[in-house]
Amino acid sequence: MESTRRYLIYYLVYKNFQLKYKHSALGFLWSFLHPLLYLLIFVLVFSKAFPSIANYPLFVLSGLIFWVFFSNTTNQLSSVFIRNASLIKSLNIPVNLYAFAELVSELMTSLLGLIPFMLLMGFFGMNVTWNLLWIIPFLVVYGAFAYSLGLILGSLNVFLRDVAILWNTINPAIFYLSPIAYSIDIIPARYKMVFLFNPFYYFFKITREILYEGTFPDLHTSLLCILFTSVFLLFAIWIFRKTHNGFISNL
Amino acid sequence: MNPNTPIIQLRNVNISYLQNRHGVFSLKDFVIKASRLSPFVRRTVLEDISFKIDKGEAVGILGRNGCGKSTLLRTISGIIKPDKGEVVVNTRLLPLLALGVGIELELTGMENIRIMMALTGQYSRATIKKYTESIRDFSGLSEEQLQMPAKMYSTGMLARLAFSTATATQPELLLVDEVLAVGDKGFQEKCYERIQELRSSGTTLVFVSHSPDELRSICSRGICLDDKRMIFDGPIDGAIGSYLNLFHYTPRHGHTGE
Repeated sequence: MESTRRYLIYYLVYKNFQLKYKHSALGFLWSFLHPLLYLLIFVLVFSKAFPSIANYPLFVLSGLIFWVFFSNTTNQLSSVFIRNASLIKSLNIPVNLYAFAELVSELMTSLLGLIPFMLLMGFFGMNVTWNLLWIIPFLVVYGAFAYSLGLILGSLNVFLRDVAILWNTINPAIFYLSPIAYSIDIIPARYKMVFLFNPFYYFFKITREILYEGTFPDLHTSLLCILFTSVFLLFAIWIFRKTHNGFISNL
Repeated sequence: MNPNTPIIQLRNVNISYLQNRHGVFSLKDFVIKASRLSPFVRRTVLEDISFKIDKGEAVGILGRNGCGKSTLLRTISGIIKPDKGEVVVNTRLLPLLALGVGIELELTGMENIRIMMALTGQYSRATIKKYTESIRDFSGLSEEQLQMPAKMYSTGMLARLAFSTATATQPELLLVDEVLAVGDKGFQEKCYERIQELRSSGTTLVFVSHSPDELRSICSRGICLDDKRMIFDGPIDGAIGSYLNLFHYTPRHGHTGE
């Protein structure tokens, strides 16, 4: 059964890729161009606003590319069961495979996108050392975090279609509430508290340590990320288990 | 496995859906209707269904629209779990329900064949390659057509693609949900031929249809459903009779024209 799952995921991912890039001339390049356009805007608009941040392009990139991954993954996952409704209703394969295949597709896109970005970050003065490999365990935890949230949204969205729309709407708000284009140092002390409840504060702290500052990820922060991701993942699995039997009659 | 073990066995199966009471699919509806305790209500679709289907049988399922025929097929294929009772299906492959599901219109015919075969349990590249030949032959679609996106296909061509892919692999169990009506005369005949071929090589067939002629030519046994229950299980002619009775038809006899 394990190898069956592997094959099914392989073909679902294959399908995702074919569907996604079939009709665009630039195809795969888009996953690279999209964050690049954002970067350009940020550099033009904000680098003057935050003169205290050294090497602003590298600073932004080390948060931005991971945000783009998160935002794409959760948006895709929030509608994954609806998009696959006809298959879910007529094929007896485990429903969570559709969600997992979506995560794998997004992870692959991001990993491939990471290559040009690494080059770009090297150009902006990133230290190229073995230290950068810390990004791999980071992606495992971060991927699990995005998957958890996406699975919760996707499951609820089957019953209440507003969930995906709502998520699409508040997505940009979370972006601006997270320290991506700015550093938490510019936040007045009495508001800093708020950021302590934002998971991205911790995640981007780690990516900045790895990619921007060129140091090891902080142990305390890393453990905290692993802890709340695990809690989140368990909660997501619980929600999925509670709801997935009702998918068929509501799709 | 004992060759006498039935391929499908249902024992006192009850199926119910947790259904959205008002079709509440948006937050606005939800708030408006929130006065009720729960927006969901449990609706029974099938009650106390029991039957056995032996290997190689061809069984037709009849009944009014919405009487639970598709639900019954979904139960057999394991997509829906029963609330009560037991469903045992002894087959290795995942049966494909309604032909044509999973066809992605943006992808080419060839890519669709590959994906559909994989999703129904044929994973290895070699197997897929082996069968694509016979799919191409049977569907009558040209190499050029198979390289076109499926959205450019006509309804009939889509049916050809779907039917050829679903039957190419000599499935042990084929569940068919009202699909043979599409396709031109020539292809329909080919489909019947293929079904007879599959039957003689041991494929078990469960077939939902509203066409008495179609059922008579393919199936030897029929199950008629009405009001959530089985009202007939026996020879196909009897099942068709009890189906027509639902609409108060009396079968016409030869002398009516005079």
